Amino acid sequence: MATIVCEGLTKRYGAVTALEALDLTIAHGEFMVLLGPSGCGKTTTLNLIAGLEEASAGRLLFDGRDVTWLPPHRREVAMVFQSYALYPNKTVFENIAFPLRLRRTPRAGIERAVRAAAEQLEIAHLLDRRPHQLSGGQRQRVALGRAIVRNPAAFLMDEPLSNLDAALRLSMRSLIKRLHHQLRATFVYVTHDQAEAMTLADRIAVMRGGLIQQLDTPEGIYERPANLFVAGFLGSPPINLIEGRIEDGAFRRAELRLPAPRAEPGREVVLGLRPEDVEAPAPHLIPLAGRVELVSPLGSDTYAEVSGPAGTSLTLRVPKGWRVREGEGIEVGVDPARLHLFDRASERRIA
Amino acid sequence: MPRLGYDERAAALLVFPVVAVLLVVAAFPILYSFWVSLHDVVLTRPLRRPFVGLDNYLRVFADERFWIAVARTTVYTVVTVAATTVLAVLVALLLNEAFPGQRLLNALLLLPWATPSVVNGLMWKWIYDPSYGLLNGLLVQLGVLERYRAWLGDPDLTLLLIANAAVWKQMPLAALLLIVTMKAIPEDLYRAAKVDGAGAFRRFLHVTLPALRPGLMLVLVYETMISIRHFDLFLIMTQGGPGDASFTLSWFIYVETFRSLRFGTGAALSYILAMATFLLSYLFIRFLGRRL
Repeated sequence: MATIVCEGLTKRYGAVTALEALDLTIAHGEFMVLLGPSGCGKTTTLNLIAGLEEASAGRLLFDGRDVTWLPPHRREVAMVFQSYALYPNKTVFENIAFPLRLRRTPRAGIERAVRAAAEQLEIAHLLDRRPHQLSGGQRQRVALGRAIVRNPAAFLMDEPLSNLDAALRLSMRSLIKRLHHQLRATFVYVTHDQAEAMTLADRIAVMRGGLIQQLDTPEGIYERPANLFVAGFLGSPPINLIEGRIEDGAFRRAELRLPAPRAEPGREVVLGLRPEDVEAPAPHLIPLAGRVELVSPLGSDTYAEVSGPAGTSLTLRVPKGWRVREGEGIEVGVDPARLHLFDRASERRIA
Repeated sequence: MPRLGYDERAAALLVFPVVAVLLVVAAFPILYSFWVSLHDVVLTRPLRRPFVGLDNYLRVFADERFWIAVARTTVYTVVTVAATTVLAVLVALLLNEAFPGQRLLNALLLLPWATPSVVNGLMWKWIYDPSYGLLNGLLVQLGVLERYRAWLGDPDLTLLLIANAAVWKQMPLAALLLIVTMKAIPEDLYRAAKVDGAGAFRRFLHVTLPALRPGLMLVLVYETMISIRHFDLFLIMTQGGPGDASFTLSWFIYVETFRSLRFGTGAALSYILAMATFLLSYLFIRFLGRRL
């Protein structure tokens, strides 16, 4: 187990900068998720921590020890890949045992460790099989087993669930979360899937263009997105963004007017409203009216695409128990405290 | 015969020319040479070719030259195939890495392969030449040798020197086959092995080599089939000599058939060689292919 500290970690490929002076401290036993679209630098960060790529600048510390220039096998980290990366010619047992064999662990110790890991992952009955005889979920369990037996300082996971189908992804997600609770080890987990990030993480680092956009708990990132990118990246369906300007302590766009007391007047801003932040109209709420264009029932929730005031098009979650029909009017209430304001030029959060 | 539909009849019509050509150029010689091997066919006595059953085969097995030829062929094949395979793996490993000039080297690699066999034989004959050969010149100038040697005249070296020429020509294709196989190995396997703690040699042993098995089998079968029947280098470089130092089966077949004009025994020898090739290939596939 280890505390991982990145200090100004930078990676360049020729003229392209994949990672720009990353400062990140991952606490001992923490589940850190690196979240972002492809090419944002999250996998590069993971590879640098693993030692699979060399940093162009900066330092990497494990428990205060500088490991920037150590080869992967001297860092005591285990890695799980999206492609599983199981050795196709080895049995499940040998796949899990491989890192131990390389460490010249005594035979009895290997046997015990592999059996224990297999029990924990419920793959004990598969130990004699070869990878090509396994399903995707079973393969990823084997890959997890290969990581667990080593008792590593940190678990590095590179989109481990992205090759699995939706149902399996859910159950593997809980498995990984359970593993983290049981092992109490440091996890660094790369994904582009916001649901995975939200459910698994102690903290999420949202990345874009080689820079961390926001580093916070899942709640913090959802409740207080630091900028437009983070606001748009998290949330499903995505947040509604409405451009306007601040006048007389209010957000204005044509006839639309929403209170924004703390924003400075004259500023060009973008207002963010999450689809799920609307309720039945009430005295303390701001009324918002529009016409339902499209209804998308999901079973648990129903979303409506609404053409709102001032030419806006909004996606809103229909309050529980309501029946809405396409073409009809709808009026909901919005809690002003749940509105997000961003500066249009800098894209940063204002309030 | 079942009634054929329109498509089947059209198909039969379209493949008929190929079948006819194959019957004439492949099936007929194979069957005719087998017929010849069962008759006492001698070209100096063209009209009398009595049926002798397996006498030609028995005569061959009783001939001590046959067993010498088997020994020479075995040594030559083992050396050639082993050297080709090992070198091909090394070259493939090297050329699979990214480095400046790698594309150029890849193209150059194919040069020996593209060289006609006869040209290759002549080239190496010149290199080994006792009075003005490159090898002599080089070794003497480097101070390794005192004076020029007749390389191909040394019975202990002849087979190895011919094998060397063969390896030079055959290795590139083998390396190319292996490079193609290597390209298909997922990069993540190497990354996983690195994180698991495997050094370069372990990664080769546990990731590359197992993945190379199908390519290696192809190389082994192909190179064995080529080497065991090799003829042109022997014709050009040594003609079976000195003495019987390079007296291989294919050379024996040539001498028996076209110099002694005993087509019957020549055909019997050819059939023995063909069967041996067939058997070896089968064994390779059976025992190496099975463990894929």
